[in-house]
Amino acid sequence: MTAHTPLNPMPLTLRVRAIETLSPSLKRLTLVSADGAALPPPPPGSHLTLALPLDGAQTRSYSIVSPANDRAAYGLIVRRAERSRGGSAYIHQRLAVGDRLKSAVPTSQFHLHSLARKHVLIGGGVGLTPLLSFLHDLRVQGRPVELHQICRADEADAFRQILEPFAGHAIHLHTGRTRLDLQAILGGQPLGAHLYICGPEPLTAAVRAAAADVGWPAGAVHHESFGASGGAPFTVRLARSGRDIAVGEDETLLEALEAAGANPPALCRGGACGECITVVLDGAPDHRDHFLSSDDRASGRLVMPCVSRAKTALLTLDL
Amino acid sequence: MTIAFKPNESFRPPFDYSNSDAGILRFPFPFVSDAYMYSVNLEPHVRGGPTEAFCAVFDVDEHYIAECRERELVLRQDPNRCMVLPHMLSAQWDAVELIMESLATDYPDLFSLERDGDRWTWTNRPLQIRDSFVFGEADTLPCPPFEYITRQAQGDFTLQDQRDGDLFMDGGMVTTQADWSLAFDLGMSFHEWHGPVPLAHEAGVFDRALQYLLRLSHGKPVRRLNWTLTVNPRLDTSPENYPNWGPDKTTVTAENVGEKLHVRVELQTLFRLPRSNAILFGIRAYLASFSELVRVPKWGRRLHRVLRDLPPELIAYKGLSRYYSTAVDYLAPFDDGVATTMGIAPESALREAWT
Amino acid sequence: MNDQGIKSRPSYRLLSLDPTGRRHLLLSDGTAVGAFADDTTLQDFDERWTISDLGEAHPGGDHQARDLTFGAEPQLLADLDRRLKTEQIGLRLYAIGTEPFLWRVMAVAAEAGMGRDEVRLFAGRLGPRRVYCIHCGVIADGVVANVATCPGCGAALFVRDHFSRRLNAFAGVKVDAEVPGDLPAVEILYA
Repeated sequence: MTAHTPLNPMPLTLRVRAIETLSPSLKRLTLVSADGAALPPPPPGSHLTLALPLDGAQTRSYSIVSPANDRAAYGLIVRRAERSRGGSAYIHQRLAVGDRLKSAVPTSQFHLHSLARKHVLIGGGVGLTPLLSFLHDLRVQGRPVELHQICRADEADAFRQILEPFAGHAIHLHTGRTRLDLQAILGGQPLGAHLYICGPEPLTAAVRAAAADVGWPAGAVHHESFGASGGAPFTVRLARSGRDIAVGEDETLLEALEAAGANPPALCRGGACGECITVVLDGAPDHRDHFLSSDDRASGRLVMPCVSRAKTALLTLDL
Repeated sequence: MTIAFKPNESFRPPFDYSNSDAGILRFPFPFVSDAYMYSVNLEPHVRGGPTEAFCAVFDVDEHYIAECRERELVLRQDPNRCMVLPHMLSAQWDAVELIMESLATDYPDLFSLERDGDRWTWTNRPLQIRDSFVFGEADTLPCPPFEYITRQAQGDFTLQDQRDGDLFMDGGMVTTQADWSLAFDLGMSFHEWHGPVPLAHEAGVFDRALQYLLRLSHGKPVRRLNWTLTVNPRLDTSPENYPNWGPDKTTVTAENVGEKLHVRVELQTLFRLPRSNAILFGIRAYLASFSELVRVPKWGRRLHRVLRDLPPELIAYKGLSRYYSTAVDYLAPFDDGVATTMGIAPESALREAWT
Repeated sequence: MNDQGIKSRPSYRLLSLDPTGRRHLLLSDGTAVGAFADDTTLQDFDERWTISDLGEAHPGGDHQARDLTFGAEPQLLADLDRRLKTEQIGLRLYAIGTEPFLWRVMAVAAEAGMGRDEVRLFAGRLGPRRVYCIHCGVIADGVVANVATCPGCGAALFVRDHFSRRLNAFAGVKVDAEVPGDLPAVEILYA
């Protein structure tokens, strides 16, 4: 995986070895190399970007739940989204054992801190998936970990089964609508603890607020956002063609552009790879990516349409 | 490909070092034009380019065995030339995997890697090594993983930990350096390690370099060339041993400058490591004497022009002051004023050596 | 000697409370004044530990007191080490004193798992310096001049402006390596 030319964004061909139904909304996929060669090792916290045969070739990214040292197969857990943008619907209803899929090499934007004395993991729903790879890694290294998984009652059995291999009193499953006492969980953690959050935006925001309340330093709080779509509607203006396109509250800017026939390059669709970077000519972007530097963000001259939106009613792009 | 190794070369007194004709032609000459300007000049580290030194992920050349023996000598005298902080164990294994896979792929006649799950067998024919071990279990190797593999590679290496929006130099095998100390710098952040550069026009260069490297992706390594001059073919020009090589600078004369003064090029490569998310920084030193390099007409012309026009701050910064004018005077006859092509490739065969 | 202009040493800012912290512990070696930003006073800190040869040796064990006095630095650091092992997230440390004291405090904090963003340091004076001999690894204390004699190998060392937080020392490199005996004039720079 080093220094080979030419650059191919989807160099892996995978075959579906197994599809396991964990619950009506959750399926676990096991993907192996189609030609039997060893797969590139998946870094902890990594996601796999798959090419799916949706309308036109489209890509979707899912966190890898299998251990970093497993080069025989990648494990994914995919939840059927209520308003699926195609990817999870395809996987739940049409994908079959034996099917072949092209994918990118797994990459991670979500990393364990090398000096952390203890890792506190908080997951919401399918946000547990990258945390599972962390659990594997930390267990192999014998490092202290505490996990809190929040889920809907109808998925509790599935998550209990998923967490079974890690059973121990440091793994906690919280179901239903009972309010989590975040201040209690976060307030008593020792010096050197680091916090990792993955789940829907409201959970991430609540955990980060509670962490700040009890004095966590910002550098010890890490999160990965899942499902970036959603926000106030706005209008995007394409400067070169002069077209105005409405971006609804349930679709991403990228999806609105694609639906209107404008096709900026895109790859991971998760705000991490930089492929969809677009120049902003007017208006203020609402950055939700993991890629731009703080200088780039502050300048407001660039935006990543796959996850970001606009703070102003009108956003003009150089498209 | 067969390499005619020169296993008995010596990079310390009594010196015994030279490049074969092929060695000279594949030297990564660092100047792309007649006017030298410092820049970040990073490019993708792909196999191939204007010099054969770019044809492999980790270049192995005729000096391989001799350089590995030189490394052994340095480490025996000072084991602290290889140190890795405890939290970098995962990065050590990432480096083992990358270097072994690359060497076995690029030089199948010299190296092979057999893998059965975690049970690996590594064969290094030039050094006559064959070791079976369990990947991930440090006590199955004769020494720590990073030390083990970097003892079998040319050039220095550091392991940079990425955390807190910064890169920390948290490990290294540093025996062929141009004047920096692993023992002193171990653990430094990116800016601490590089220090604010004294030249005003370079302000901000390291800020941008750091931001770029923080986004370095696995599978997309980058490289750049750095250069300085070294008196005598010494690889170990460490500050630790400065009392040994420092006096060399006063021994350069008009009669010996061609043989004694060497262009020292560092091929710097940067790789994102998969499991640890660390960066492996390779610093590979190449040496060629002035008298060897002027056998390439284009290089003789360009070397003269670059050195002659070097700004005074750079002369001082690179430590060239004592022998600077002697060096430029030696090169002048090789510069006939003819225009040179852009880029570093030699563009012609070697002319005969001057006696 | 050509220093190559290496300048890489920490800079210090007047101390103010970190608003993201919940408990604030101030440590002082008694040598510095004027360490606080305009909006901050001694009273803003929850606890204050000081070294003072006028004070009694700290009896140890009483972690509820707001003000503790230690007779010597090693006692303060030992108590800090014990305290931090039982502490929780939300603590911020502040240290005022000589540079070597500050980085010894930082070392204890790092050992307990604290990051750079949980500790704020202020150096009252930027000298004397600890100097690490690049050649033999021995560290000289109390260096005030541009050249120091290494207590380990006897080399005359040029004192660089390059600082290692890990070693808590500035780099010293043999000043007359190229021409032995060719020494620069001694200047008192770091008193």
